[in-house]
Amino acid sequence: MLEDVGEVTEAIPIPNVNENVLKKVIEWCEHHKGDPPAQADDDSDSRKKSSDIDEWDQKFMQVDQEMLFEIILAANYLDIKPLLDVGCKTVANMIKGKSPEEIRKTFNIQNDFTPDEEEQIRRENEWAEDR
Amino acid sequence: LAEILNLCDSQQLSFVLNYVSPRLKKDPFKSLPNELCLRVISFIDDPKTLARASQVSKHWHGLLSDDLTWKKLCEKHSYRRLSGAAGYSMSNQTHHHDSALFSANPISPKEATFAHALPSTSGFTSEISPQSLRAKRGRPKVTSYKSHFKQRYMVETAWRTGGKAIARHITPDQGVVTSLHLTPEYIVIALDNAKIHVFDADGQLLRTLTGHVMGVWAMVPWGNTLVSGGCDRDVRVWDMEKGDCKAILRGHTSTVRCLKMSDHKTAISGSRDTTLRIWDIEKGVCLNVLVGHQASVRCLEIHGDLVVSGSYDTTAKVWSISKGTCLRTLSGHFSQIYAIAFDGNRIATGSLDTSVRIWDPHTGFVTSTPFPMQACSDPCFRSSRNCLAVLQGHTSLVGQLQMRGNTLVTGGSDGSVRVWSLEKYACVHRLAAHDNSVTSLQFDETRIVSGGSDGRVKVWDLRTGQLVRELSSPADAVWRVAFEEEKAVILASRATRTIMEVFSFSPPADSLG
Repeated sequence: MLEDVGEVTEAIPIPNVNENVLKKVIEWCEHHKGDPPAQADDDSDSRKKSSDIDEWDQKFMQVDQEMLFEIILAANYLDIKPLLDVGCKTVANMIKGKSPEEIRKTFNIQNDFTPDEEEQIRRENEWAEDR
Repeated sequence: LAEILNLCDSQQLSFVLNYVSPRLKKDPFKSLPNELCLRVISFIDDPKTLARASQVSKHWHGLLSDDLTWKKLCEKHSYRRLSGAAGYSMSNQTHHHDSALFSANPISPKEATFAHALPSTSGFTSEISPQSLRAKRGRPKVTSYKSHFKQRYMVETAWRTGGKAIARHITPDQGVVTSLHLTPEYIVIALDNAKIHVFDADGQLLRTLTGHVMGVWAMVPWGNTLVSGGCDRDVRVWDMEKGDCKAILRGHTSTVRCLKMSDHKTAISGSRDTTLRIWDIEKGVCLNVLVGHQASVRCLEIHGDLVVSGSYDTTAKVWSISKGTCLRTLSGHFSQIYAIAFDGNRIATGSLDTSVRIWDPHTGFVTSTPFPMQACSDPCFRSSRNCLAVLQGHTSLVGQLQMRGNTLVTGGSDGSVRVWSLEKYACVHRLAAHDNSVTSLQFDETRIVSGGSDGRVKVWDLRTGQLVRELSSPADAVWRVAFEEEKAVILASRATRTIMEVFSFSPPADSLG
């Protein structure tokens, strides 16, 4: 992002990121500033190991959902890929292994299917339950 | 606020909790733009979770129908394309790239042979339109990665834990099954009682080919044509559709022990009379007699213009089909050769001397190839310049052998199945497969299926070497097994009867959509 802006001395406005979120993002960056730079093919490689998040990051991500999603949005906006991935992984881990109802509960989601639709979709997806 | 909460009793606190906690929860897929939602989903590689997540709400269902997610999942599972969508080719590799599903560059269905199930021998399949075959069975065409994944997943699950016996044929014969071939249209078996039975692909008996007067020991199918040979010394050409014998090719003076075809009209037979014969099966004439072996020709394999033969004289020979001449002799084994595989670049031979040798068919050994220690210490190595490696490990005759890419799988009379890497010339897995001989062996990119004289059929994971399951119930002895993507055929002896069992791993038709 800074590359896009070029050499500037003035402050860069970050209108989409509120103060609390920015504090978290900076905290994360401070902790990770010594990390080796991600490889070029980071997109395919690191993403394969889906669920592993290091301990510090796991703790760091123990925030309320609102904050978690804000961090993801901020990381995306500020183009901080590793943080974005940690955030997305955290959400993915909240979904993994749960039943539809448990997922709804986790995120307070309304089931907007009619009973018929729900039954049909359940049947459509039965194949994955077999193993 | 903290002070108020301090005044609350636990009942009130739990009310607060129930009141507050949903408010702290938020649907991530509504809070985040779609692009980020899909990124989250891309970190889930377990289909069960994905399938469950799609049942959460309409919005989630929509997101999880995104085909890119399923495409990635297909790649993660290394699922190759399903054979339903387009034509076949001869490619062997698992496709990881984008075109895996929709390009016309899929996996060969390949003719499943036993001792030498080389894809190179499957040229005949290209003459048959697989589309029409699949269409016949009424499978809907694959239209998305999701449905592709679903099909593959269901087939894999069936291979692991399910599958159903779709046919069980008890032949009136008590004979030994000497060979079994699966083609897109037929299941063909030959017996030592001179009979050849032709079944349709689902295992219903179509006809019996009679004409041989003694045991049939070798056969090869090519489209609707079948070429067979055995103890009566005749090579017969059959039309499997009509059931008639189109030609009787005479010339061998002893049992015909092995047979292969190089194109639709050329068959090559190897015999106990020490010769190989090249036949034009359309004209019904012998084109060439390949003389040179000192003892019975036990096995042969074809690639392009080259035929390689393994003999009881302990050597293997490389011949030119068009010239009818011997190009080189591969010597090094100390005892009879029983099995051979050839992919154009490498020859593998299995011998009674318990070793497996890898040879270069063209020149001396390739110097860039890592030089295995065991080869250096082998006194015969220097004299046989074509030998790339000697693979030791079996403790008895190596009679089963299949090569595919850089993987070689061998089976022996010691009951073990070994998986070898041809890059490292090293044993990757040693499977204690059967109590007695391994009588039959086949593998593809996911699994190995082995049959033994202990009456068991076992399915193994090629990558991990783990036993996946046993197929069918233990018989007295298993003569032959063969499999395709969604089907396995077992020929076994049960209570002195020869029994054919066909297992299907296809998902039920109504489950696909």
